Amino acid sequence: METVLSIEDLHKSYPSRWGRPPLVALRGLDLEVPRGSVVGLLGPNGAGKTTTLKAVMGLVRPDSGRIRLLGLEVSDPRARARVGFLPEQPYYELYMTPRKLLHYYGRLSGMSRESIAARTAHLLSLVGLEEAADLPVEKFSKGMLQRVGLAQALLNEPELLILDEPSTGLDPLGKIEVRNLLESFRRSGVTVLLSSHQLSEIEEICDRVAIISEGRNVASGALEELLRSRDEFLVSLASPPREGTEPRLPPAAAWTGDRGGVVVPRQSLEAVLRALLDAGLAVERVGPRRMSLEEFFLERVGREGGG
Amino acid sequence: MSKKFTDLLTVAWGVVQDAVHRKVFYAVLAFTVILIFLVPMLPSAEVGVQLDLAREASLGLVSIMAFILATVMGSTILSGEMRKRTIYNTLSRPVSRKGYFIGKYLGILAVLAVSLIVAYLVILALVGVKFGVFSPGLVKAVFAIFLEAAVLAAVAMLASVHLSPVVCILITGLFYVVCHVKGDFLYRTMTDSGHPAVLRGMAGLAYYLLPNLERLNINETVAHGERVFRVGAVEFLLLLGLAATFVVIFLVLGAFILERKDL
Ligand SMILES: Nc1ncnc2c1ncn2[C@@H]1O[C@H](COP(=O)(O)OP(=O)(O)OP(=O)(O)O)[C@@H](O)[C@H]1O
Ligand SMILES: [Mg+2]
Repeated sequence: METVLSIEDLHKSYPSRWGRPPLVALRGLDLEVPRGSVVGLLGPNGAGKTTTLKAVMGLVRPDSGRIRLLGLEVSDPRARARVGFLPEQPYYELYMTPRKLLHYYGRLSGMSRESIAARTAHLLSLVGLEEAADLPVEKFSKGMLQRVGLAQALLNEPELLILDEPSTGLDPLGKIEVRNLLESFRRSGVTVLLSSHQLSEIEEICDRVAIISEGRNVASGALEELLRSRDEFLVSLASPPREGTEPRLPPAAAWTGDRGGVVVPRQSLEAVLRALLDAGLAVERVGPRRMSLEEFFLERVGREGGG
Repeated sequence: MSKKFTDLLTVAWGVVQDAVHRKVFYAVLAFTVILIFLVPMLPSAEVGVQLDLAREASLGLVSIMAFILATVMGSTILSGEMRKRTIYNTLSRPVSRKGYFIGKYLGILAVLAVSLIVAYLVILALVGVKFGVFSPGLVKAVFAIFLEAAVLAAVAMLASVHLSPVVCILITGLFYVVCHVKGDFLYRTMTDSGHPAVLRGMAGLAYYLLPNLERLNINETVAHGERVFRVGAVEFLLLLGLAATFVVIFLVLGAFILERKDL
């Protein structure tokens, strides 16, 4: 599989003032983004997501490590010609209008006036800003600015889209629109790398995730595999046992919150099944347990933070 | 046209657009024009001197306007883009930081040029109407003012890569003052054996490193009709060379530092 973006052992610290030790943002980050995939960068506040994306765009200079963007060095502007970038909380000169902004950035991307005009009309309708195309962004709400940012990122029909928290500031409808947009990119083969706090969003959109915490990866890979990576099973019951009549289970097993099932590691599966059946409970289904991304995230980030 | 070249023009044009949308730009320009109109009201003894005085005073006003525009734009444009994070939108395009930096500078030059042309035309019209004299030769002084402002804008932009606008304006003002007293004050300090060695050394360093901006001040000569001293083509080439040398030094340094900055 072709790799569109690869990051190896990236280190970055920001100098502090007055002789205090530098602030370490990244300590050995690795990331692979295969062509055609939608990769989610997840992590708590201050984990280093924005720093990573900025390093990819050449906006911050890493202390060490290697970044290859579309087979080129980050310092090579040609790489950026094929990338679209949405910065965190995008901001524009207040007197500018979306149309003027797209014209300006289109020129800097080397597009002709005609193709900018055509693309602008398409993008403004895509992000729902047709009405506001010629209003100064001064009058825009946070969500509208975010939409301008998205249009701006899509301007040059990028092969790789890098989005720093794309759905921040959007209303629920806007979030759904972004999700549909990303879905359509996936179908048309555009590669996407996005950072987000919205675990549910990532779970729905992304096929790969990289969880980072304190500047390091704590987990990365295909979402399906990660969430199924633990060898656990979920035993579902037809109906939960009445209070106080639950059979005694091996210590490794645990009741689910609604008592409608039992989570159990492979080695205890047989013992648990026997105990449940002996107690006269109807087992409806047994299958590999898929964690929610939230559970997985809490487990990984919590463990890292504790250790 | 190559992409690098059109990038310069695009970024520069953005600076012009920006100036056009700022009230402070019109305010400075309008204020200068109003003051130029007030110049003929200066009290003066002899009628013959009045013309020269009026020309000199209005050129002086134009110098101040150019100083303000160059310093303020040079000090605020880059740091404003970094503070507002609009710089990310530009630099995530296939644009080099060098091109971005120089494009911004060229934009400042364009704004300066337009403002100076307006001021020049106003002076020409005023002197023509009031004294019945057509003085196109003033363009020489205006051009020298432009050269000085170009140097100041480059200094301010270099400073603004890492420093806040207020600090940049102070530094550029200091630069302006030191470069104007260079031939006189610094030279005397450097050569006066009565001063401590450290002071003399610093004065000497500044004397040799900094440009003599007083040379770019030909307001008086030109206002007096170049009767004493003619500013010829050779003199102009020298002035141009002086300004260009320092502009290139400051811009190269500024671009170099910007390349290495985390944004
Ligand atoms: N310009 C800067 N100067 C100094 N420190 C910085 C700078 N930018 C980021 N940091 C520090 O680097 C660390 C990582 O920040 P970063 O913005 O990459 O986190 P993030 O994962 O994007 O967080 P969030 O989810 O809040 O956006 C933080 O500790 C932050 O304080
Ligand atoms: Mg961030």
